Amino acid sequence: MFYLTMFFQYISQYAKTRLQYRADLFVEFLSDLMSQAINLVFILVVFGHTKLLGGWSRDEIIFIYGFFLVPYAVFSAFFNIWNFNERYIVKGELDRILTRPIHSLFQIILEQIELESLLGAVTGITVMVYAGSRLGLEVTWYDPFLFFIFVIGGALVYGGIFVMLACISFWADARTSIMPMMYNISNYGRYPVNIYNKLIRFVLTWILPFAFVGVYPASFFLGKTEWYWYAFLTPLIGVVFFSLSIVLWNHGIKKYRGAGN
Amino acid sequence: MNAIEVKNLRKEFKAYSSRSGLKGAFRDLFTRNYKVVPAVNNISFSVSQGEMVGYIGENGAGKSTTIKMLTGILTPTSGDIRVNGMNPHKEREKFVRTIGVVFGQRSQLWWDIAVQESFRLLKKVYKVTDEQYDDHMQHVIKTLDIEPLLDKPVRKLSLGQRMRCELAAALIHNPPLLFLDEPTIGLDVLVKLKIREFLKEINQKYNTTILLTTHDLSDIEALCERVIMLDEGKVIYDGALHHLKENLADGKELHFQFLEQVDLPAVKKLTSGMPVKWDLDEKEQVFIANLENDDLLISQVIAIVVAAFKIKDIKINETSTEEIIRNIYEKGAVEVG
Repeated sequence: MFYLTMFFQYISQYAKTRLQYRADLFVEFLSDLMSQAINLVFILVVFGHTKLLGGWSRDEIIFIYGFFLVPYAVFSAFFNIWNFNERYIVKGELDRILTRPIHSLFQIILEQIELESLLGAVTGITVMVYAGSRLGLEVTWYDPFLFFIFVIGGALVYGGIFVMLACISFWADARTSIMPMMYNISNYGRYPVNIYNKLIRFVLTWILPFAFVGVYPASFFLGKTEWYWYAFLTPLIGVVFFSLSIVLWNHGIKKYRGAGN
Repeated sequence: MNAIEVKNLRKEFKAYSSRSGLKGAFRDLFTRNYKVVPAVNNISFSVSQGEMVGYIGENGAGKSTTIKMLTGILTPTSGDIRVNGMNPHKEREKFVRTIGVVFGQRSQLWWDIAVQESFRLLKKVYKVTDEQYDDHMQHVIKTLDIEPLLDKPVRKLSLGQRMRCELAAALIHNPPLLFLDEPTIGLDVLVKLKIREFLKEINQKYNTTILLTTHDLSDIEALCERVIMLDEGKVIYDGALHHLKENLADGKELHFQFLEQVDLPAVKKLTSGMPVKWDLDEKEQVFIANLENDDLLISQVIAIVVAAFKIKDIKINETSTEEIIRNIYEKGAVEVG
């Protein structure tokens, strides 16, 4: 309950900061909108050349991509911790975080929140509606609920892996950035996993389960019964991976050395 | 119950050293040389509620590391810490509600938002009720004179303004224990005085325990009865400040300036047979007599010199605390204490 209150407090603080720079806000909103539009055109052009891929039709692949964008947008809005190593470890801002009576990861997530990224979800849903209507998908009453659960699950998978990678900073004191690696791997989840070989598929399902962010849950809406099992595992995998990342974080925080001053 | 209780506290860091040259860099890829350096080396002390303690030492003596362990930021390598009856690292979230922290070199406030917004958020973070806040903070804001700064964003404040706001922010939940790590660094005299006055006041009003690190010894002299001195991770002195001064002040200095032309052998001849050492500051033409802190001897010397020459100015100087502390660091230990 306290954490929920704090969540809204930080959000309102964030909104105030944003509103203080009116011009900045406006320009950023415009550029976000532009980049989403470009993204949309890009997807359609790229997939315009594919016909069939590992038993998936062009529209199905577009649908999966569209679905992927939604949890990805939620993830980007709430796990905007790309600069964690630099800002909190190297510069030592974690000192400040640790003198406040709220869980440290929660504080960092709240401080770094970037709600503009949620705009990406609009693009994602647009793409899904476009592909879905061409495929003639029917929407049942429970679909929106499942969609919501899958999106949260997917975002948690993403967030969990991301936090675990960020935890490396607690042990390695080098100023390396593991984040580009994270970005590269994450792209695999956007495409149907059965186009990859067995090993990669295994990795994307159980080790770095990015497949749960895109393909698996999306295939539920596409009516691919052979993947239903995996689709329903999405929220569970999300919770498990995110919990693991918190355990790792709590352990890592003890290794924090602080920045000298 | 003591506010702070520390036993055999130790914190080690691994210090990596890189080999020189390209060949060395390649070897570093596989095996790295490191040695374990104790930043804080088995220290023990305790502070009781309501005390103001100065925690001093050279750069790298382990002051900040100790403070970070006491505030729950760092985990000790070994040893026991109880602060406000809790283990800072183990019960961190519960524990930090009972302390206030100011790091002079690092801001606790949100950079982009107005000071009062930071205060408002912190008030929620520490679950302070409106009545408590109004009752306590109005007074703090008035004493620190930060009323006109409240609606400005932190990044637009000057250092002195910011420090006063930081101090107020650390006190929002009226903690019984306050850690100040170089709170007056880089501040002008007026702001320093204001901050000292304020600290004294809250110490008296709420019986707040204050642990203060600083390089400015006048802060310590103005505020603290007791000092803990650290060198290379070890406590080398723990006791009253005046005790340190009485025992370690080597003596007094008499500064003379004369109206007439006088040379050093002449003054030396006057006090021959007495335990006095003369120096001459040639630039200022000041004759300095170093002697033991003995009232009788001092008056004798003055009497003789005054009788012999016409005087322009006389000063009696006590060895300053800074000098004492410099001496201690040079010797590396305190023999009296």
